Amino acid sequence: MQGMPSLRDVPFFRHLNDDEREELEELLEPAAFEAGETIFEEGGPEDRLYVITLGTVEVHKAVIAGRRQHLATVEAPTIVGEMGLLTEPRATASVQARTPVEAYGIDRDRFLEMLDADAPAACKVVYEIGRTLAGRMARTDESIAGIIAQLERAGADDFTDFEIFQDRLIREWSF
Amino acid sequence: MGKIPGAVVIVEEGLHGVRFFEFLTEEEREEFAEDSESATFEAGDKIIEEGAEPGNLFVLTSGSVEVSKKISGGGDLLLARIDAAEGRTVVGERGLLGESGASATVRAADPVEAIKIPRETFRRMVSEGRPAAFKLSYRIARTLARRLTRLDEEVVEAIRELESRGETDLEAFRDKLITDWAI
Repeated sequence: MQGMPSLRDVPFFRHLNDDEREELEELLEPAAFEAGETIFEEGGPEDRLYVITLGTVEVHKAVIAGRRQHLATVEAPTIVGEMGLLTEPRATASVQARTPVEAYGIDRDRFLEMLDADAPAACKVVYEIGRTLAGRMARTDESIAGIIAQLERAGADDFTDFEIFQDRLIREWSF
Repeated sequence: MGKIPGAVVIVEEGLHGVRFFEFLTEEEREEFAEDSESATFEAGDKIIEEGAEPGNLFVLTSGSVEVSKKISGGGDLLLARIDAAEGRTVVGERGLLGESGASATVRAADPVEAIKIPRETFRRMVSEGRPAAFKLSYRIARTLARRLTRLDEEVVEAIRELESRGETDLEAFRDKLITDWAI
């Protein structure tokens, strides 16, 4: 990897002005992953945020013991580790490079310090992350609504525990 | 709409009392107060309508609301009741940040008083680079991230339970739920 990172090309950084971009660039550590290499291991630490500028990553989770469920394939430019930033620094799924990946790592603690100090650069990046999460939440809500409707249609006979499940899902609804 | 000088003061007091806005400095609260509007609803009025364009954030200062969703077989499913006196006092936060329409209807259960932060106002503050708007986004992002994480945990737990009981429809169910995992 050569030269300074061009954050301008990454949608998450589009609201930054030159000063803010420079401020953030100080935190960036270039990182590269080979195809097949693990970026986050499920259950392991998620103490960095990666801005992926090149390549494709895959997300898996061991939903049922011994079986890895494919959750998503994500292409650059994107960010991984944003949930660790906003919640607990522990990976809830594994992220693996599918192709050679080029990225910039940002240390979670340093980024949180910037946020706590209300640094505009950090706040603006989180604004973009928030927009991504809002979209994700909307799609999740729709999936759940679909399942609930399906369950209601099917009748609850075979799914006696689903009412409890339904209640639990609904509690986390956002609008 | 012309601004009534006294109205700003009232809204500002409203923001003061609301825990959701405690992270803002006095100055920033004033910024929001200047651009917010107070809103009142009668029992039965719709505050947010399911399927409508993404809209405004409401900080409920008194009264209570009901959140419901249409289900495909017809009828409404009551999702939640929110009482301004009981802590959770903000509705519409996702609409403020996101691009998709409201996923549920929010209706006043009794007379409701609220402070409205219009989406256009918020967007303008973002494009002007005002720190208050970005700080609000941070709070909303954290709320959404926590919710997504809890939802993911619930889904995984449910799938594991069903699998252990040998449910057959599991695959379709699992595929549907895991369409949009949060990393």
